[in-house]
Amino acid sequence: MRMMMGFLLAALALPAQVNPERLNHALDEPQNWLTYWGDYSAVRYRTLKQINAGNVKNLRVEWIFQSGKGGIAETVPLVVDGVMYATLGDGIAVALDAQSGRQLWRYQYVFPAGVKATGANRGFAILGDRLFMVTPDSHVIALEAKTGKLIWNTEMAPWKSGTHYATLAPLAVKDKVIVGISGGEQGVRGFVDAYDAATGKRAWRFWTIPLKHEKGGDTWDADSAERGGGPAWMTGTYDPQLNTVYWGIGNPGPDLDGGVRKGDNLYSCSLVALNPDDGSLKWHFQFTPHDTHDWDAAETPMLLDLPWQGKMRKLVVQANRNAFFYVLDRETGEFLMGKPFARQNWAKRLDAKGRPILLPHTEPSPEGTHLCPGLAGGTNWMAPSYNPETKMFYFAVREQCDVYYAEPQKYVEGKGYWGSVSRGVTDEKEWGSLRALDPLTGATKWDFRYYRAPWAGTLTTAGGLVFSADEDGYLMAFDAKSGTNLWKFNTGTGHLVTSPMTYSVKGRQYLTMPAGGAIITFALP
Amino acid sequence: MKPLLFLLFLTATSMPAQPVAASAEGKALFRSNCAFCHGLTGLGGRGPSLASAHVGALPDSEIQSIIKNGIPGTTMPSFEGFDAAELGQLIGFLRALGSGPVTAHPGGDAAHGAAVYQASGCAGCHRIGNSGSIYGPELTRIGSARSWAYLKESLAAPSADISPDYEGVAVTLKSGKKVTGLRLNEDTFTLQLRLPDGSFLMLPKSDAAEVRHLDKSIMPAYTTLPERSLNDLLAYLGTLRGTATGAAVDKAAGVH
Repeated sequence: MRMMMGFLLAALALPAQVNPERLNHALDEPQNWLTYWGDYSAVRYRTLKQINAGNVKNLRVEWIFQSGKGGIAETVPLVVDGVMYATLGDGIAVALDAQSGRQLWRYQYVFPAGVKATGANRGFAILGDRLFMVTPDSHVIALEAKTGKLIWNTEMAPWKSGTHYATLAPLAVKDKVIVGISGGEQGVRGFVDAYDAATGKRAWRFWTIPLKHEKGGDTWDADSAERGGGPAWMTGTYDPQLNTVYWGIGNPGPDLDGGVRKGDNLYSCSLVALNPDDGSLKWHFQFTPHDTHDWDAAETPMLLDLPWQGKMRKLVVQANRNAFFYVLDRETGEFLMGKPFARQNWAKRLDAKGRPILLPHTEPSPEGTHLCPGLAGGTNWMAPSYNPETKMFYFAVREQCDVYYAEPQKYVEGKGYWGSVSRGVTDEKEWGSLRALDPLTGATKWDFRYYRAPWAGTLTTAGGLVFSADEDGYLMAFDAKSGTNLWKFNTGTGHLVTSPMTYSVKGRQYLTMPAGGAIITFALP
Repeated sequence: MKPLLFLLFLTATSMPAQPVAASAEGKALFRSNCAFCHGLTGLGGRGPSLASAHVGALPDSEIQSIIKNGIPGTTMPSFEGFDAAELGQLIGFLRALGSGPVTAHPGGDAAHGAAVYQASGCAGCHRIGNSGSIYGPELTRIGSARSWAYLKESLAAPSADISPDYEGVAVTLKSGKKVTGLRLNEDTFTLQLRLPDGSFLMLPKSDAAEVRHLDKSIMPAYTTLPERSLNDLLAYLGTLRGTATGAAVDKAAGVH
């Protein structure tokens, strides 16, 4: 009996602190969801299987949290030991009872006097007993997990309307909180920052765009690097063994007019491998040199250990906005494979090092250039997932092309710096799909077609399921092996712009998907 | 009253105002924001030609208001992002359009055109005011909304440009029954159509053996109309301008 008590006490004491060791092994806590991606590798796979291919047809709404404020929810909530922590837009965050959806506390960020900033937010990071989030005016803040009370508040970049902003969920690594800046359409110069989790003091900054005198600075024309974009607007991934953080970097600016920034424009549209201790660059791989179509490389850099041509290798894979699926060696950055997955008419092929060989007439022009994929890409920031049982990579495919226009544009601080616009192609219907790929070959294993191009990510479980959502409001479950649609629910909103997640409390499994301004949670009866 | 207005309109177009030079900035703004509907040169497409005295006669404040707020009840959306300088450049471009030579069209006898409209069965699908069918696009203000050239093309080759709101769908139900209608809404799993009698057909796609999106317009091509009748019909359509000012909104009646 005493032993049992001791065990119970240990079990109760353990959850108080989400220490780095727990984060390193987040997949071993399938009842919880401890990082934006669910773990550091971003596989978005869970061993939970109470909800499975046999019974998912009975899945029903357990609770709905209507936030009332904060706009469209783009968050992926964290769940730690029965408590859900969710950010909303406009600096709002809540803690909820994960079983009932009832609010435990609510936080509203107090904007500095004169600051009028609003905007979406994608989620929290947790470390110890602290939560970390960014704000629409580019601050990083730490909150007490138990109360939502502000602990520290650090400015990443001075606020000025129409310049920098921040949306991403931070990544907590060891004793630091790693974040990135948004503003790739606003003429900013991007960066990835790390802050000391205890004090909020900045530990390091990695500028995503090197200046003239710096390594890589010669890939920019004249002084164009100073307004070169390269935002770091999505959360990176982390390999504790290699002590490396992987971060997808966004587009160069101005987006569509490449004439003022001749050169490859490093490190825009690249994956960078950083040392989390000091922010130093280990390697980089540029997917789209000198991009002129807003094809950010912000898509999830998923870490997989797989037998590559018979030999186990540490890989990083990314379905890129430029419509190619890439496999790289994550120790060296070596290009291993790149295969197109959606309609594309910009690259003839990739060369042996993964550099695209361009087709003619792909540049935006004053008269408009018809090109696939469109500005929003063959896929985008919605999360993919990987199931070790089916060995398939599940992701959202967007089939949509655009007419790209370009005009020289004078940079004016606080105004958009696009270098013209893109427009959908008249009379050409967009569509999309949920796709299962073999990540070792790029071959399609199955494809479920949607009526419109989606904006929602995927989740896969040991229940033999893949969850995702389309652009018409359906949250759906699919057989992970065959792609058969097994369940659907009309959420009543076309704003399904984040990814589903799952957790369990007291042995009961839940599925959560933010939809419109609400957070909807499902369970079996 | 209507023929008189139309005459005034024609007279005005034939007397171009002083030519105005458009700036490169205005042209660039127009191409990237307006050309999608109004054509690269502003002579019309899915949206009306802007190279008309009708547009040219509007004061700057009115054009600014249309750009900023759109035109309720039409497909003209609001463009809120322009600052004062950009609005000025855009308006400069529009004024330059109206000051250049306007492609003349032959005109016609609108009264006879109205008879051609009735005789050709147009009212079987289209509505003007409160008379006619709700199946096809309403024509109450089509003379304001589309250029003469666009309407001519729509009569001769209706499939050349099909508005997204009027796409035809042919469904073969699992029972074997075939229906064709206009798509009101569609998603991954369901379909809602308007049938030619004006009623709704709402079905899960699992009820259908085949759902085929027609790449042709549901409207027949009027290729056998004599040239004169066609011109008269176009002249008649040109007179259909909603209200006397061409506005789509009957504010007095509270109708949009």
